[in-house]
Amino acid sequence: MSAQSAPLLLLLGLPFMQRALLAGLLSGALGGLLGSVAVLRQLSFFSDALGHSALLGITLGVLLGLDPTLVLVPFAVLFALLVNALVQRSRLSADALLNIIYSSSLAIAVLVLSRFPRAGGGLQQLLFGDILGVGWLDLALMAAMLVVTVIGLVLNRRAQILLCVDEPLARSRGIAVDRQRLLFVVALAVVVALSIKAVGVLLISAFVVIPASAARLLARSFSGYQLLASGLGALGAVLGLLASAAFNLPSGPSVVLVQLLGFLLAVLLSACGRSGLAATAGWPGRDG
Amino acid sequence: MGETILEVSHLSVRRGGQPVVEDVSFALSAETDTALVGPNGAGKSTLVQALLGLIPRQGGSVRLLGQELGPRGQLPAAVRDQIAYLPQLFAPTGPLPLTVAEFVALGGVPWRQRRQAVARALALCGCQGLERRLLSELSSGQLKRVLLAFCVVRPRRMLVLDEAQAGLDAQAAEQFHNLLFDLRRSQGWTILQVSHDLDMVRRSCDRVLCLNRRLRCQGAPAQALTPPQLERLYGKGFVPYAHHHHTVQP
Repeated sequence: MSAQSAPLLLLLGLPFMQRALLAGLLSGALGGLLGSVAVLRQLSFFSDALGHSALLGITLGVLLGLDPTLVLVPFAVLFALLVNALVQRSRLSADALLNIIYSSSLAIAVLVLSRFPRAGGGLQQLLFGDILGVGWLDLALMAAMLVVTVIGLVLNRRAQILLCVDEPLARSRGIAVDRQRLLFVVALAVVVALSIKAVGVLLISAFVVIPASAARLLARSFSGYQLLASGLGALGAVLGLLASAAFNLPSGPSVVLVQLLGFLLAVLLSACGRSGLAATAGWPGRDG
Repeated sequence: MGETILEVSHLSVRRGGQPVVEDVSFALSAETDTALVGPNGAGKSTLVQALLGLIPRQGGSVRLLGQELGPRGQLPAAVRDQIAYLPQLFAPTGPLPLTVAEFVALGGVPWRQRRQAVARALALCGCQGLERRLLSELSSGQLKRVLLAFCVVRPRRMLVLDEAQAGLDAQAAEQFHNLLFDLRRSQGWTILQVSHDLDMVRRSCDRVLCLNRRLRCQGAPAQALTPPQLERLYGKGFVPYAHHHHTVQP
């Protein structure tokens, strides 16, 4: 046993570290799963805007003297619905509008928090996450959300895939495009809100975008793509946390860095034409 | 005269406050092949999207297979399942991790029958061997044929194509057209297709609808596509170019 692995094993025995690993597993899997759809439907910037605006929700919680976790979920859902309605109606492009919204939200939140030094003291944790501070309630909510997300994606699989392929084609098959988009945006908002504590405002979109982008380069079927995105998200989070514990690094950035390495590996494998490596649970079988 | 599959009455559609389709009325009989022709911006794509309920209409009524299309494009699922639509611009951007077999199965087949139905549809459309290829790896011609397999994976009665041959080279367009012709006969489809290929329309279609915001003329291609009618439709000096889906306005 090396000098470095002994304290790591000791750390793994501590409840806060076990909760952190579980949180990483759940938030990574959730981010990858929803990211698999968000990336194909070009909604990844939406998760970024939601993440940044979450700070405004936390600020609201601080001003009202409420637990930020309780405020964040309803705030994120309302914010997502509002932004979705704006994007649908605006003549501006979605990315420009989202940029305006998220930078303004961030600016307002930081300015307000700066007036409340006690509340704003944890700004660093809010921005980059404090996965070691995740409690059992957070974990239970994340686990419940993972179950809901999997059920939702299975039940709406055909609609979600057709929307990823071609919206007019999906409409022609009777898919309620607006309702599907709304459902997805609300799910994304809830996941972002639940993961903010662990991942941080600035890094949450990486959890959504990076594993899904890596899986997109490697997968050879849609089912394989979603499983791979989810698996890469969870694996990246766990490996990142272990690296963070082993080398005494901040947890959120460590996870994102591991995910980035995974993405670069996917680029390499894809470029080498080795994408078949990632074929997991791909239908149809050999008989086609 | 066969059964009426589609009945459009005084249909009007506005986009951005501007009238794009005005007071259009026509009906399609079962197992006929009708072309919708007209210059760019004439409202052809808007018309087909409105009569399928994909975009809202501002006036008029549409009956598909005897069912009235709701004001917001609602149609009973049993009726919608019998109609297939091939959009104008169908080309996945970037890597799309979806196999041909997965995509064709989304055309609407029960889970247990999907393998047989997909294999049959791909065979009908000459796409054997493409099952495990990704959609984003296909050529334009293959993509169009796979889209047809998506349509044929379950029985349909009507097929609506919006410039299906756009983006295909001469040989691929000819192959696609022949495949469509064979499928129409074997499947008993009623076809409404937006086309710029007047040569093909003359050769294959039973009827043509000439649109330039309003219906300017309709009838058998030989009668409707006369030089004076074409000049009225496309503008003075129009010369039909007898080659694939291109027409030239000098």
